[in-house]
Amino acid sequence: MAGDAIEVKDLRKSYGSNEAVRGISFEVATGEVFGFLGPNGAGKTTTIEILEGYRQRTGGEVCVLGADPGKPTRAWRERIGLVLQECELDPTLTVHEIVRLFASFYPHPRPIDATIELVGLVAKAGSRAGSLSGGQRRRLDVAVGIIGDPELVFLDEPTTGFDPSARRDAWNMIEGLKELGKTIFLTTHYMDEAEHLADRVAILRHGEMVALGTMSELGAGSGSKTVIRFRMPDGTGPAEIERLLGAKLSVSGDIATVEVDQPQRPLHRLTGWAEERGFVLEGLEAVHPRLEDIFLELTGDGAGDG
Amino acid sequence: MGDLGLVALQARYSLVALFRTPRAVIFGVVFPPLLVVIFNSIFAKSGSGPQVTHFDGTTLDNQSYFTAGIMAYAITLSSFSTLAIALTTQRESGQLKRYRGTPVPAWTFIAALVVRSIALTCLTVAATYAAGAAYGASISGEGVVGLVVYAVLGTATMCALGIGLTAVTPTAEAASAIAPFSAVLLSFISGVFVPIDQIGSTLADVGRVFPLAHLAEGLQQSFAANGSTGLDAGNVAALAGWMLVAVVVATRRFRWEPQASRG
Repeated sequence: MAGDAIEVKDLRKSYGSNEAVRGISFEVATGEVFGFLGPNGAGKTTTIEILEGYRQRTGGEVCVLGADPGKPTRAWRERIGLVLQECELDPTLTVHEIVRLFASFYPHPRPIDATIELVGLVAKAGSRAGSLSGGQRRRLDVAVGIIGDPELVFLDEPTTGFDPSARRDAWNMIEGLKELGKTIFLTTHYMDEAEHLADRVAILRHGEMVALGTMSELGAGSGSKTVIRFRMPDGTGPAEIERLLGAKLSVSGDIATVEVDQPQRPLHRLTGWAEERGFVLEGLEAVHPRLEDIFLELTGDGAGDG
Repeated sequence: MGDLGLVALQARYSLVALFRTPRAVIFGVVFPPLLVVIFNSIFAKSGSGPQVTHFDGTTLDNQSYFTAGIMAYAITLSSFSTLAIALTTQRESGQLKRYRGTPVPAWTFIAALVVRSIALTCLTVAATYAAGAAYGASISGEGVVGLVVYAVLGTATMCALGIGLTAVTPTAEAASAIAPFSAVLLSFISGVFVPIDQIGSTLADVGRVFPLAHLAEGLQQSFAANGSTGLDAGNVAALAGWMLVAVVVATRRFRWEPQASRG
């Protein structure tokens, strides 16, 4: 599509006999926040580095802002912003100096002070980069990533190592970028982060795309089915409850799970029945599946942590 | 801003960064003149009469001999060591990769570090000369021409070698050990710390394989020059040859991305 910031068609990358990326295809629309997920070794970093112009692909077609990132030009680089995964800036220069230096690399940079304010580092503007905390350093990475006023920003695990409140701040900042109209390509280990920020997500496993779509298309979040969960009480069996609810019950250990479109009536029946029979339904909850559940189901074997 | 303007701007920032690192200033600027003071203090008391060194068919008073030799060592530290360590450190921390992702041509970043090394070298050469002059080292007007030629050529060669060395230094720690250590080691057999007429011809020949011996001898010839510039085709050619080798290695083997953490 003409309005897409990123188009990827059958992208492949091999290192020797190891195929890191095995023919993936997707588009990222202009102005979209696209979450790119997958366990370690799934090919996330390889893909993002191809899109950023750092690495050459083995096969397929890639178009980023209308150009081939395999032949990065100066004019193209002026339009993209990078927040790399492992990147340290000069520890002896101050926040303000670093941002000003990077601003000089671009023809139409954003205002320096306003950018430092956007990432929440005003109080640290005169401090050396080496004295910043991990979260503050990451925010400085973001500041230099957007100082060139790019149309497209790559955020590679922007909040890894953040405490919960720093993560919330970072999310607000990324939402601020979206409001500025930037297209954002986000990789993250945190499913709640993708759930919160991304318009659409892609999930990668062993170099292949196993899911692509909005949260509800993937069956996660509001707009999807509801899961009712509780501990099976003693003195009854799954068959009785299935009859009661008219839905399939799955039991793992002593936790029973049932998927329903609308939870009100099944919950009413379930609790009425339990009251009548004198059962206590421990841990009773009705929730939408989280992206995390979908992710673990699709990527299996718990390879997602670390 | 033009590319040369960008080089100047980056060089300014990297100089600011350098002078905020006390270790770099002590090693680059204070250490060499201090060596001149120590050597001249030791050898001024070690005997009666003027001490001289015989080399290359000429003689030179020891104050000038040590000043010139340590000047060669100083150029090696501020060009070769500083550049190799800075580039390896910045490669391994991801700074080079990050700079390469900006619109600025990547060569400007290296050029800025070279400009910084040149500035540092000017400073350390001046400081070394001042310390030597305080002990009576002297150079003729014609000798200054030779000194400038060797200092410029030596700086260029040592910068090229510093960039080339990063091809074999996997970590900043490795660069910080290999670069200064090899400079010290060679200094003993290159007529820098020990007069060349005192170390025996075998060791001197080994030393002459490497560029430091030629830079030291060239500078010593400049101090000894009387009525000529002291320029010697052999030393000039040796330095130029090493520069060429280093440039070839650097252009073929230079790497922008961290090596240690590749996974």
